[in-house]
Amino acid sequence: MKGSLLLLRTMRRASGRWNVYRHTADGKLRRKIVMGWVGLAVLYAMLVFYSGAMAFGYGEIGFQDVVPGVCALTVSALAFIMTLFRTNGYLFGFREYDLVMSLPFSARTVALSKFLLMYVRLLPWYLSLSLPMLVGYGLYARAGVWVYPVWVVLTLALPVIPMVAASFVGFLIARISAGFRKTNIVQTVLTFAFVLFCFSLRFIIEDVFRDDAVDAVLIQAAEALDGAISTYPPAAWFTGAVTGENWLGGPLLLSASAALLALVFWIVGGAYRNINSALQSHAAGKRFRMKAQHRRSAEVAIAWKELRRLLGSTNYMVNGAMGEVLAALLGVATLVIGFDKLVALVTNNAPFDPAILHPAIPFIVYFLIGMMATTACSPSLEGKNFWILQSLPLSMQTVYRGKMLFNMALTVPFMAFATLCLCLSAHVSAVHTALYLLLGLALCAFSTAWGCVCGVRFRKLDWGNEIEVIKQGTAVALYLLPNMFVVMGLTVLVVVLGRRMDHAVLALLFTAIAGLLALLSYLRVMKLAEKE
Amino acid sequence: MQDKPMLEIRHFSKSYGGGKKAVDDLSLQVMPGDIYGFIGHNGAGKSTTIRAVVGVLDFKEGEIFIGGHSAKREPLACKQITAYIPDNPDLYENLTGIQYLNFIADVFAIGGREREERIRRYADQFEMTADLGNLISSYSHGMKQKLAIISALIHEPRLLVLDEPFVGLDPKATFTLKEIMHQMCDRGTAIFFSTHVLDVAEKLCNKVAIIKHGRLIAAGSMAELTEGHSLEEAFLEVDGDER
Repeated sequence: MKGSLLLLRTMRRASGRWNVYRHTADGKLRRKIVMGWVGLAVLYAMLVFYSGAMAFGYGEIGFQDVVPGVCALTVSALAFIMTLFRTNGYLFGFREYDLVMSLPFSARTVALSKFLLMYVRLLPWYLSLSLPMLVGYGLYARAGVWVYPVWVVLTLALPVIPMVAASFVGFLIARISAGFRKTNIVQTVLTFAFVLFCFSLRFIIEDVFRDDAVDAVLIQAAEALDGAISTYPPAAWFTGAVTGENWLGGPLLLSASAALLALVFWIVGGAYRNINSALQSHAAGKRFRMKAQHRRSAEVAIAWKELRRLLGSTNYMVNGAMGEVLAALLGVATLVIGFDKLVALVTNNAPFDPAILHPAIPFIVYFLIGMMATTACSPSLEGKNFWILQSLPLSMQTVYRGKMLFNMALTVPFMAFATLCLCLSAHVSAVHTALYLLLGLALCAFSTAWGCVCGVRFRKLDWGNEIEVIKQGTAVALYLLPNMFVVMGLTVLVVVLGRRMDHAVLALLFTAIAGLLALLSYLRVMKLAEKE
Repeated sequence: MQDKPMLEIRHFSKSYGGGKKAVDDLSLQVMPGDIYGFIGHNGAGKSTTIRAVVGVLDFKEGEIFIGGHSAKREPLACKQITAYIPDNPDLYENLTGIQYLNFIADVFAIGGREREERIRRYADQFEMTADLGNLISSYSHGMKQKLAIISALIHEPRLLVLDEPFVGLDPKATFTLKEIMHQMCDRGTAIFFSTHVLDVAEKLCNKVAIIKHGRLIAAGSMAELTEGHSLEEAFLEVDGDER
């Protein structure tokens, strides 16, 4: 453990920006770092607001007792999902692997320190969710003073079990993939399969706990929550400890977290070097035979390079193409199940006409497609290879146009497929379908250009592990979270407006807005590129 | 000189994807006080062997012993007495030079006074003292290489493993490193390094091994191998014989 903490301290210092801020004399870099911190603070504030609003909302309707359970489940779910997307990049194939492994640290120590680094990096997200809920719960439940320290301490332990579980899944995937020649592809496919399984699990769980005899949606939700808490012991332990119903809950949560952490990293450590060796080695290719070579434009050449970069990295594939895969699956699922039935399934048979969702189809598809724009992280992903682009006789405008072209080529076909599937299944007219496709195109253009603004503005080339810029970079966070919340808001707005306005007019209006925003973002990228 | 090898590689083989053997049944011994050169073409298997020796690369076939400890069964005991300098050191870029050296000194539990004295000594020798407060990301390739060398020297290893150590070093630093290698060798440290520069190997090493397509094609003392010719001539001769 001592070795893990020493490594953790060094890696935290080496991967954070504080040390750079302290020791650099570059004023521009310092300002960039401060801007990144401000951006992150805004995102934490958004999460605090969202979480606080939920806790106070429950308090206002007299449901304050469910807040600890909601907190436990939300933090756990967030921890599981965030870890699942990061674990491959954190635990395996990191740049300083040779350096660390040649030092007298056991493989278990190295693996554990990487896990702890991931935990420390994600902790602010968990606290941003949990602490506002504590305030809301404390006020409405008139909680005793002891609840506050207990809640805070247990919040620190709460993410450990889901994070360890997600890490173990990542380890198993890496272990299985290590046995194949095409390690990277197998790892990507298995990760996709597991994430999709997790998404479908939500419906299975809801189906298990659903009680059709109960009509009130809130009561139904509360019962589903009780069911979920009783199924997931750490949530029950947390709830019992902070409500005073189960004094053993706290010690149980702490000891189970520690025991599971020790057990899993004992297992992971045993195969750690073997997996990393396999992931770092590449299958020897067949003897190359020269065929006819074709000329491409510079933009297409950059876009082609981006495709190879995406396909060459499990981290990039899983994070960058997840939205496209989900959109394609949504399209297929809608065709198979039917639009109305799918809406009923997702909304737990909420009593409304599914037709009111028609104008929201482009936004529903975009919620998935726009989940991530490759342009938000691809400028940073150049990393140490950035000199190649810099030394080529290309303007940076051309480079970024190539990167944007790639994102459009990736998103537009999936957007078109999913939109067409949804429109066909919902029996939307041909004219409206065409307009929704046009709106989808404008949204993809906006996502691409806005992602590129974030990517160029907060480009970070000195990363030690690509997951730092794919998943947790300021550029990606600033693109992803506001985009997600705004789309959720727009989906509601368009449904409300659709009750009063013609859907075609509405689609044209939003196409114009999205198109304008895309154009402005594009011009901003060109301006930023000009300064480089 | 002691008669127990500091590094012993026995029948080491390593295959990558596709079943192609990167190293095939390689055996050699490096004694305390040896400066052992490991030469071969690009892709011959030098780095694979070195990465397995220093505990970075997992392997199943063969055995590697360092100071009598098995690299498979006692990796920590092996690493405790070994230092490794890769050809292209990926250091923690966002640390300053002194922070990095302190990290390495912490790992090897070097006391405050000793570490200060050693860091000062080696940093002065490589003319790095004034730059130790700067971020590693601001260093040139050569400076990073020098820092990696200093970090390898401060814990006084009994086996020093270097992968192409002279690439990127300026002439003064190259000279300093060669001097230090001689001094370490006099103190009984074993040095095992790969290089493409045959002139350097010829002047520096007392023993040499030549590897080709993963197989050891010649090994022995410099005198045995060259038999009055230059190392370059000897290398081209054994390389030609293997075609």
